[in-house]
Amino acid sequence: MIHVDNLRKEFKKVNKEPGLKGSFKALFKPNYEIVTAVDGISFDVPKGEILGFIGPNGAGKSTVIKMLTGILTPTSGQCIINEQNPTQNRKKYVKEIGVVFGQRTQLWWDLPLRETYAVLKEIYEVEESEYKKRMEFLNEVLELDDFITSPVRTLSLGQRMRADIAASMLHNPKVLFLDEPTIGLDVVVKDNIRKAIEKINAEEQTTVILTTHDLADIELLSKRIVMIDKGNKVFDGKIADLKSKYGQMRELVFILENIKDLEKLEYKSHFKFKDDDLSVTNDGISVKVRFNNSVAPVADMLSYTLSKISVKDISVKDADIEEIIRRLYKQEVDLND
Amino acid sequence: MTKRLKIYTPFISAGIQETATYRVDLIFYLLGDVLACFVSYFIWKAVFISSESEFLHGFTMPQMIVYIFLMFLTSLLIYSDGTYNIGEEIRDGSIAMRMLKPVSYNATFLFQEIGNKLVTNVILIIPLVAGVEVVRTYVTGEIQFNILHFVLYLISCVMAYLINFFFNICFGFIAFIIKYLWGANMMKNCVVGFLSGAIIPLAFLPDTLEKVFLFLPFSSLNYTPVMIYMGMYNSSQTAFYLGLQLFWVLFFWGLSKLLWSGASKRLSVQGG
Repeated sequence: MIHVDNLRKEFKKVNKEPGLKGSFKALFKPNYEIVTAVDGISFDVPKGEILGFIGPNGAGKSTVIKMLTGILTPTSGQCIINEQNPTQNRKKYVKEIGVVFGQRTQLWWDLPLRETYAVLKEIYEVEESEYKKRMEFLNEVLELDDFITSPVRTLSLGQRMRADIAASMLHNPKVLFLDEPTIGLDVVVKDNIRKAIEKINAEEQTTVILTTHDLADIELLSKRIVMIDKGNKVFDGKIADLKSKYGQMRELVFILENIKDLEKLEYKSHFKFKDDDLSVTNDGISVKVRFNNSVAPVADMLSYTLSKISVKDISVKDADIEEIIRRLYKQEVDLND
Repeated sequence: MTKRLKIYTPFISAGIQETATYRVDLIFYLLGDVLACFVSYFIWKAVFISSESEFLHGFTMPQMIVYIFLMFLTSLLIYSDGTYNIGEEIRDGSIAMRMLKPVSYNATFLFQEIGNKLVTNVILIIPLVAGVEVVRTYVTGEIQFNILHFVLYLISCVMAYLINFFFNICFGFIAFIIKYLWGANMMKNCVVGFLSGAIIPLAFLPDTLEKVFLFLPFSSLNYTPVMIYMGMYNSSQTAFYLGLQLFWVLFFWGLSKLLWSGASKRLSVQGG
């Protein structure tokens, strides 16, 4: 369905020296620099898959999405989506995809929401009966009814995002690109949006590419992730693999009878943790100890802790995906081993 | 063809609704233009009073007054915001959203603006034409309204608008290179104002310069419709200048298509 082959994008950037003097210099003799935003990325997505596309800020995620949707022309390499090249026949291509950029809106700013949908119905040439069915479905999962008659500029962020997602699904696209669709939203709205994505994927076999910084989105929706950093692909595989391979971090949470006892615990010297392998946070009531399981096994940590101090309550938490990603972003885990 | 046009009808109705949203803005905008028009009127009045001859380059003072008010009317009718709109979309990156729709980029701007203009032009044309005619009757002492001239004027205005629109679109594509267009747009408005005769009638210029300007596309913007309305052209001249207008419509339409296909390839979306 989606085939991406060695995609590259370079931008020309004016390098301005700091201050007023630098601004003048840049005005008359600009100093150009070629910045490689995406440096040869390849991957394939089969029909009906939800792919989580993640990476730290500035990794090049949005640039990739913009190339896949035909907004940007790649410097080299190519992508074939739905058997089409996005930049070749733009009008034909975009008819079969749906796109949401969380930071922008495709809704008509000054018009009631309903009007935007009416416009979209015309330009995507959606049949009346199909349109009604579609709106009913979207209404049900995204609860648009409360604000469908309000002008878009008066909508709250959560409402606007729901409306934008509905707009991208209205013409039943074969591929859906969602660039941070849950940015800045509360838990309930996030849930609704995830449900909508899940449902449309299950019912229509829509292929979805999802970028997000909320890893819960990824965990709940997609089985596979592609991670990029500094324009390169650094991971491509199942989330379960990622967890078993890199999930060495565990968390020990306990409540002390006497908070001063904390000083008695000397994990670092006892187990010879490195700086990155251990972090202790204390909020006055409970203590959280995050540690690397491969340096000190959970059993050892527990027995050491209990031998030194007395606790009211103690629990151990498993590695979560966020922790793994955090370490990956900070490049503490070597992905090549 | 009708099917293709049908896709764009929602853009017209959206344009109408947009304009209706910002009514007060529209009123202030018009007031500004009316003031500018009167400033220009008093300047020319001073020029004619200090002149010894009754004619200045073939214009009598009443004709000059009619010219000023017609220029004001015509500029309003054919006004196009394309450069500004494209510039803004490129500056804030929202051009990306427009590119994701299965419609022609230029056409969406055109139909949206036609929607905007339908409101203003329909509201304005009757009172303004009536106003111009009252002034004209008052300064010349007799009713001068000619229905044929008026109809030809309207046709000429439609073509002038299309030239203006496509020219502005072409100019707007400069934003793909320089990213921000405000300064360039101001400069363009001044130059076009001069070349199109909106500031001084082209007949006031030295002969050779006038001939050159008449063949430039800008005289097709304001000057041609106004001269037709005033009955300054005989029938063969009218036919010639209408033909010239048509030529410029097609020229800029073609150019805008060409530039778009080039510009969209080198787009770099700013922000987000």
